[in-house]
Parts: sequence; C-alpha cells; structure tokens
Amino acid sequence: MVTKQPVGSGIPGASSDTSEGIKSQEMLLNMGPQHPSTHGVLRLVLTLEGETVTDCTPVIGYLHRGIEKILENRPIMGGIRYMDNADYLSPMLNETAYAGAVEQLMGLEPPRRAQYIRLLTNELQRIASHLVAIGTYGLDLGAFTPVLWAFRDREGILSLFEALGGSRFNVNYLRVGGVLHDFPAGWLKQCEAFLDQLEKNMMELDRLLTGNEIFESRTQGVGYIDQQQAIAYGLTGPILRASGVNWDLRVNRPYMAYREVAVNPQIRQEGDCFARYMVRMLEITESIRLCRIAIDKMPGGPIGTRTPIALRPPRGETYFALESSKGELGVYFISDGGEYPWRAKLRGPSFVNLQILPEMVRGHKMSDTVAILGSIDIVLGEVDR
Amino acid sequence: MDLVPRSKSLSPAASGYRDENAALARDLAPIAQITGKGVVPKSMKGDYLGIEVDRSNLVAVCRFLRDQLGFDMLSCISGVDMLDHLETVYHLRSLTRKQLLQIKVRLDHEKPEVESVVSVWPTANWLERETYDMYGIKFSGHPDLRRMLLDDDFEGYPLLKSFHQVPTTVKSPATTQVDPNMAVSGQFQQKGMEHVVQKKVGQGREERLHPGTPTFGHAFEGYEEEASRDDSQKDKPAPGR
Repeated sequence: MVTKQPVGSGIPGASSDTSEGIKSQEMLLNMGPQHPSTHGVLRLVLTLEGETVTDCTPVIGYLHRGIEKILENRPIMGGIRYMDNADYLSPMLNETAYAGAVEQLMGLEPPRRAQYIRLLTNELQRIASHLVAIGTYGLDLGAFTPVLWAFRDREGILSLFEALGGSRFNVNYLRVGGVLHDFPAGWLKQCEAFLDQLEKNMMELDRLLTGNEIFESRTQGVGYIDQQQAIAYGLTGPILRASGVNWDLRVNRPYMAYREVAVNPQIRQEGDCFARYMVRMLEITESIRLCRIAIDKMPGGPIGTRTPIALRPPRGETYFALESSKGELGVYFISDGGEYPWRAKLRGPSFVNLQILPEMVRGHKMSDTVAILGSIDIVLGEVDR
Repeated sequence: MDLVPRSKSLSPAASGYRDENAALARDLAPIAQITGKGVVPKSMKGDYLGIEVDRSNLVAVCRFLRDQLGFDMLSCISGVDMLDHLETVYHLRSLTRKQLLQIKVRLDHEKPEVESVVSVWPTANWLERETYDMYGIKFSGHPDLRRMLLDDDFEGYPLLKSFHQVPTTVKSPATTQVDPNMAVSGQFQQKGMEHVVQKKVGQGREERLHPGTPTFGHAFEGYEEEASRDDSQKDKPAPGR
C-alpha cells in the first residue's frame, strides 16, 4: 500500500517562542495505523506542540473492501451476508438496515413475529456493541478489568446468536421478509436468564467505572461538543444524545416493531466523554428493558414472508435508516427491477461521526486524544466499508 | 405474496406521515423563486418527499432549506451512475420537523461537476470527498477535495458502471504465458502433451489466440495426423501388460 503523505497545517520545524524564552517545536506524529487505541487501522496525523495537539488529520481507507461494489454484484439475498462485515461489532443491525431497505422498496411488511424477533436481536446486538465500546474504553484509559467483564457478558449474547443463526459474529440471520430460523427450544428462557444475569453484572460494571476517580477525571470536561456543532457535523447516536439533543430514530421515526414498543431515549446534557459513556451505560439498561418487553409480547405466527430466492424488487429508489448502536445507519437502495441492486449506498454512522475528531482534540493534550477517540466509538469496518 | 393474515401484521396506521409531507410540500413552494421554475415534490417509498434541483441552484436551495425550513442535518450524500448521466443524492433531516427530504441533482457524464455544500453543512466535507473518490464527481468550492478511502495514486473511479471488475493492470506480460501443464489435467487430456509443451505461445499462427488460452495442441500445424497416429498406437495393447 502506498503511504499517504501527511497533510495538515503543521509544518515540521516551525518554532515558537514562549515568554520564558523556551523554544518549543511543532512535531508531526503518526498515530496508527497499527495502534491499540485506534481500534483498528485508523491513522491519525497529529500536529503537536509540546504535549498539546494543535491539529489532527485522520487518514482512513486501510480497511476498504468495496462493500458497495460487492453488493452491486450479488443477488439481494446474497448481499445480506456482506452487510455483516461493514460494522462487524453489530452485524444484526446492518442486516436489518439492508433487509429493511429492500422491504420498504417492495412495500413488504414482514409478519409481526418476525418484527419482534428483529427487535429482540437488534437490542441484544446493541448491548453487545455498547459492551465492547465501554470495555475497550476502559482499556484505553488504563483500566484493565472492565474489558474482561464486558467481554464476558458479550460472550453470552454471542452464544445466544450462535444458537439462533449458527455463527457468533457474522450471523447472516435476517432475510428479506423475515428471519432465517425460529428460536430453538428453550432459547427464550435462556435469553431471559441471561438478561437477569446481565443486569446484575451491569451494576458491578457501573460500580467499577462510573464512580472511579481516575476514570472521571480523564473523561469529564474532555472532548466537549455543543448542540449546534453536533447537529452541523451530522453526528448521530449516543454521541449526539450526550450533547443534549433528543434524537433517536427509534422514537422520532419509528420503524418495524418500534412502532409498537416505546423507547425512552437516554439524553445527557454535558456533551463530554463522560456523558457519552453514561449514555451508553443507560442505553444498555434501556435495551435490557426492551428485550424483556419483546420476549413478553412475542407474538405467534410465521417468521417470514414467502419471497422468491431470486428476488426482483420493483424499479425505484428508497432510503431506509435505523438507529444503530453508533447512530443513524442508512441504506440508499436503487433497483432497476433486476436481481441485483443497481446501487446500495451505506451511510455508516462511524464514518460521519469520525469527522468531528479534529475539532474535538484541538487544544487537548496528547493523552486525551485516546480518550476522545474511544468515546466516539468508531468501527473501522464501517468507516472504510 | 403475503401469507400472513392482515390482523397479525402491525397496525398500518402507525406509519402515516401524510399530513407532515403535505405541510412540507407547501413549505417547499418558495424554492420556485430561487430556481425560477416550479418545484414538484415527489412522494418516495418510505413516506418521505424527494425533489429534483438544477445543479446551478443547489447551494441556494440548500441554504433556504437549512435556514427557513430547519433541515439542519445532512445525513447522506450518494453518487449514482445511471449510465447516461450521473446523480448526486442528498438526504437531509430536520430534527425539529422530524422529517426526511431527498434532493437529487443530475450531472453530465462527461464533465461531472457540482457546487459543494460544505458551506451549508460541515459534514458534507467527507461525504463529498467519498463521492469524488468513488465517482469522480468534482465538488467545486470544496476545501480539500482528495481521495478519501482509496490510495492517492489509484486510477479510475470504482463505483462507475464502466469500471472494470478485473483491472487490466493485473495482466502483466510475464503472467500471460501460462504453462500449459498447469491448464491440462487428467489422463485423457494429456495425450498430446508433448506438442503443447513444444508449442511457443506468441509466435506464428498462435499469435492470434489470446495468450494463456490452453489450446491442447489443436492450433498446432499437422497435429491432426499425429493425433490419429497416437490413437492407433493407443489401440494396441501395451507391451508387458
């Protein structure tokens, strides 16, 4: 791979005099692409003045696989599997977005049971994704225990998915018009038991991180975004809600079973890293509540509509968006009436959310860059697609 | 198509945005003063409105939508290749009105250029860079129009329909002369092996063949007689068996 030249305002060698006569020199620092705190292959070209970050240029594309081009060359049912790889920490949500876009174009309404299965799996996936975000965030800030506890709980969700769809990560569970399998025997009981255990574990995790003095001092007041800036930069998801904007697609533009199940959006006003962490913690609790509701209300009936394998949606275009664990996950789908999509554009929340990083880190210390980047919760698979 | 009785589906009344869309269509009417011709909002699948705007008026219309109608968030910019023309599609959201709006701009295939909307929504910066990266659409007025996801020295725009799936650069001269032994397998196909091996690909008559095409000796002059001789030899029982 050809190395990209660092671009930014920082000129190496430019020096400035402080009042004491001590000379400090601007320095260009490459953080990544292989760096444990960048959660993948993200490269940040930082311009440092001493310890202070004066500019930051994210360089992305190291994980580009051309998913949009791949989708154009796969039958629609075959493309669902490739959506798993976009945001590999929440494959269920990606599949729901793609299947939902096709259904919206076809005017197809999946059966009620399928919609509730989707709600249940989506909320479990959201918990899993937030657990990774919180666990690795603790790891970034020097706390080692949270990541072990969070991954232990996530393992329970992955085992549930394995029983459901046959694989832990790239589940390939959703279908246009429904889902692949019904629950195996005893799955819902297992899921309920898991949720009870998770609730206890979350209280422990909360005690471990939320009141921690080191954790609070590293996150409170760091990486502040105000409301106007957050909206102008198109931020969505927990990062937007942590800035005090009441915006959640599950509430404001409900889709699928969220039309029947009311969601309490979790909002914090502070707009700093700690608020983003708190929104994720509260959303896990909220997701547990939604999972219980879905299990209680789980209707009977078929799990899918009978659709042909060689699916040919009508000519037309549509934009379908849902609230992923990271924000608005949109699919802009164009069909020419054929078996293959003419165009399938993914609007990845991580890609849009990452854009504000230079604004956030400017003026902070070098070590705060790690805290701010972790609080955005990006997945490079979705940034680069 | 739907096998499910209607009662088991979700209530259809929950997904009604008809009133909101009608109100928005009324509010969109002043765009006619900016563009000079009437705007026709189209109802899209999924209960939202879509309008089509000339590329010369795009920024003015976007500014009007943001300031007057409260479309304060730009969600998505997508490039589309429709073979005879290109399109850029903008999806806007209004957090106050809780609505979605689609703007479509048609561009020529020869000189795809459209004004940048970074001055209206800062989030357009990366979204436009990505569209430029994949479709080669120039966004004039963009502060930093470079490749986003691909390498800086990448040639071509991969999401265009004319972009080849297998890039031609893979076929270097060294790899075209495929060893025929690699292509031939099985007892039956190996009977004319020595002719194939002797054949010099790229010289004489075989030049017209695509290099690397396994000929199994058929293009070799005088092969037929030798092949029949081989067959006659094969009919005899081999000595010692």
